[in-house]
Amino acid sequence: MLDLLNAWLISPFDYGFMRRAVVGGLALSLAAPPLGVFLVLRGMSLIGDAMAHAILPGVALGFLLAGFSLPIMSIGGVLFGLMVALLAGAVSKMGGQREDAAMASFFIISLAAGVMLISIGGSSVDLTHVLFGSILAINSTALLLIAGISTLIVVTLAIVFRALVVECLDPLFLRGQSRRSGWVHSVFLGLLVLNLTAGFQTLGTLMAVGLMMLPATSARFWSKRLEGLIGIAIVLAMVASTGGLLLSFHLDIPSGPSIILLAGVGYLFSALFGRYHSLAAKLRRKTTPLAVEQGS
Amino acid sequence: MSQRSLSRCQLHNLHLAQARRTVLEHLEGDFQPGAITALIGANGAGKSTLIQAIMGELRPINGEVVCTVPKERRAWLPQQLALDLTFPMSVEELVMTGSWPSHGALTGYCAAHYRKGREIMARLGISHLAHRPLGELSGGQRQRALIGRTLMQEAELLLLDEPFANVDSETVDILIRILRQMADDGATIIVVLHDMDHLQRLADEVLMLNGGHGRWVAPSALTDHHSPAQVVPFTLGGRHAGSA
Repeated sequence: MLDLLNAWLISPFDYGFMRRAVVGGLALSLAAPPLGVFLVLRGMSLIGDAMAHAILPGVALGFLLAGFSLPIMSIGGVLFGLMVALLAGAVSKMGGQREDAAMASFFIISLAAGVMLISIGGSSVDLTHVLFGSILAINSTALLLIAGISTLIVVTLAIVFRALVVECLDPLFLRGQSRRSGWVHSVFLGLLVLNLTAGFQTLGTLMAVGLMMLPATSARFWSKRLEGLIGIAIVLAMVASTGGLLLSFHLDIPSGPSIILLAGVGYLFSALFGRYHSLAAKLRRKTTPLAVEQGS
Repeated sequence: MSQRSLSRCQLHNLHLAQARRTVLEHLEGDFQPGAITALIGANGAGKSTLIQAIMGELRPINGEVVCTVPKERRAWLPQQLALDLTFPMSVEELVMTGSWPSHGALTGYCAAHYRKGREIMARLGISHLAHRPLGELSGGQRQRALIGRTLMQEAELLLLDEPFANVDSETVDILIRILRQMADDGATIIVVLHDMDHLQRLADEVLMLNGGHGRWVAPSALTDHHSPAQVVPFTLGGRHAGSA
């Protein structure tokens, strides 16, 4: 029994690439879910997806200029992601169009541009790699980059946390309190872009958003408190990223999709059996006496 | 709070427009410290537009709003429906966010802030709800929590948009008492009201908006035209009935 556990859970980490991958995954799991929780609470769940597409041309340009160098590709991704976010904000400020509509337009342009750039300069293997990630490619530089970005995100989030909370609940109150309240939104979008850039190495540009959103949406079924949501989302992300890596190792399947699918299983389980708003909770509620119902 | 005899907020020949359409013209006014002014008028008369201008959210076409109250001491309580009250936050946490002016975004709350928060919740009769999420509160309880935030903020200029809509009578009594205390402490309060009964109990002055113009009247002048019986059905059937 112990041997089996050892073979399944411990021995894969004899390999250096698995060790680096799991550390990278855990670092991402610490930084991504809190961002996802705020996205969900602000009703901006799909913005993460849009931003993930938006970084692609930058990553592709970095790839064309410097080959498969994670730092260069990341810088390209961050610059391009921020540019798209700014452009979308500018278009919506010009009037007429809402930010999500502008964002939707820009991200699909970005996706096409990115795919085009990679196809011109590289092979279809490169394209798959950028789109879906590969744990094998995480070297020490990449790991340092991922850990550095994750640290930056966690620290920055801690600093802007209260402003972010107040902005979610009542933007007018924040605007009254602080002359520079606009920066809260910009900082938040910046963190989002940074996080997606850090994530694309393990998970790929398109999957990176999964580690951000799925734990956050699952956590909504388990807690009604902000700290609870963030804590649960982080734990779920850690379990999914470690478990997904192990599955991909043993079953010889791609790492990105297996991590995200495991998180997806967690989401379905939460939707069925979670404490709040899940199917099970709805069934339980039906049998609650009327008097208790009215009390809530 | 300091008591100043100078008026906190003045309107000079104010001309306001929304989407290039004039809403209010030639508006003059003077909101005194310690006075509660009721803002009345039909839907679309420009009450919310005027509030936006006073809060500095809307630039006048002409004339000016002279406000000596610093921005962080101005509190605007919008209608409840404008807030996302499903946000996972407890009553205490909401009240505490009002202490922002005294320490900004970065410093944590200290024991004195928490003590003040608890005193405020006790005054509003919501101590027992301190750890309850906002989403589980009734309309009246939410309104008390929001007023708690403005008390925490030590607001010197308080603007409320229909604070008694969708609120139980106990809350109305408490809020009227608290608002009067705030005014006695020197705050300037402007309230959008629909209900003549509330107006009689609360307002010192009335600014009536009608047809693009404003008219200052004494609260007593309104009683001659409206008996409570006429007004009550109008308020009960308001836009807010049935929600929360």
